[in-house]
Amino acid sequence: MASLTGASLNFTSLSSSFQRTQVPLRGISNVNSVSFQSIRMRPGSLRFRVSCAAKPETVNKVCEIVRKQLALPEDSSVTGESKFAALGADSLDTVEIVMGLEEEFGISVEEESAQSITTVQDAADMIEKLIKSKDA
Amino acid sequence: MGASKGQRLSGMQKQVLSLYRGFLRAARSKPTEDRRQIESVVSAEFRRNSKQVDRKNFLYIEYLLRRGKKQLDQLKNPDTMGISSLNVSPSQNNKAKT
Repeated sequence: MASLTGASLNFTSLSSSFQRTQVPLRGISNVNSVSFQSIRMRPGSLRFRVSCAAKPETVNKVCEIVRKQLALPEDSSVTGESKFAALGADSLDTVEIVMGLEEEFGISVEEESAQSITTVQDAADMIEKLIKSKDA
Repeated sequence: MGASKGQRLSGMQKQVLSLYRGFLRAARSKPTEDRRQIESVVSAEFRRNSKQVDRKNFLYIEYLLRRGKKQLDQLKNPDTMGISSLNVSPSQNNKAKT
């Protein structure tokens, strides 16, 4: 339940619809409880969520995979803002990272979007988008 | 946010990356052990060429792209188990030196 709420909130802030809370909820079956909670929680969390659309779990998982792929030490700091290039990845590494993410999350990234991914956050946002469209 | 992305890729770089992705995808359909081997050979080959080949040597890169595509087609064949099609790489090594 908690994660469902989180997802709907993210979506709300993404589409920046302050009044039209119905729009992002279309795909969710349990509309009543979700819309209720999103109304209740919106004021506090919206500000934070704007810059961070993907769920923290997703971001963390992506960080982990990136670390593994680039053979970075456990304690190296990889965050949502980390750019692959800044972590020492070249374009071939980036391809490998995206391929690794595809397998981990069971998604398929298109050529076009794969090449626009340059940060952990980009990757996490895209994964959530793809998972959502897969479930819908 | 979008503006600071830097690293604009040329059309040719995109082709190379797309070929690399194609190889990795094809490798997925092979048994685990073959897959590891294919991945390591392919990765080594791309990395070696990325360092050795002059990025302005378009003719040669185009040749490598064409050759790579052919090898990828062979690899995609379900009958191709291992890396035999990719073992041509050492001969390419000689070519680069001449």
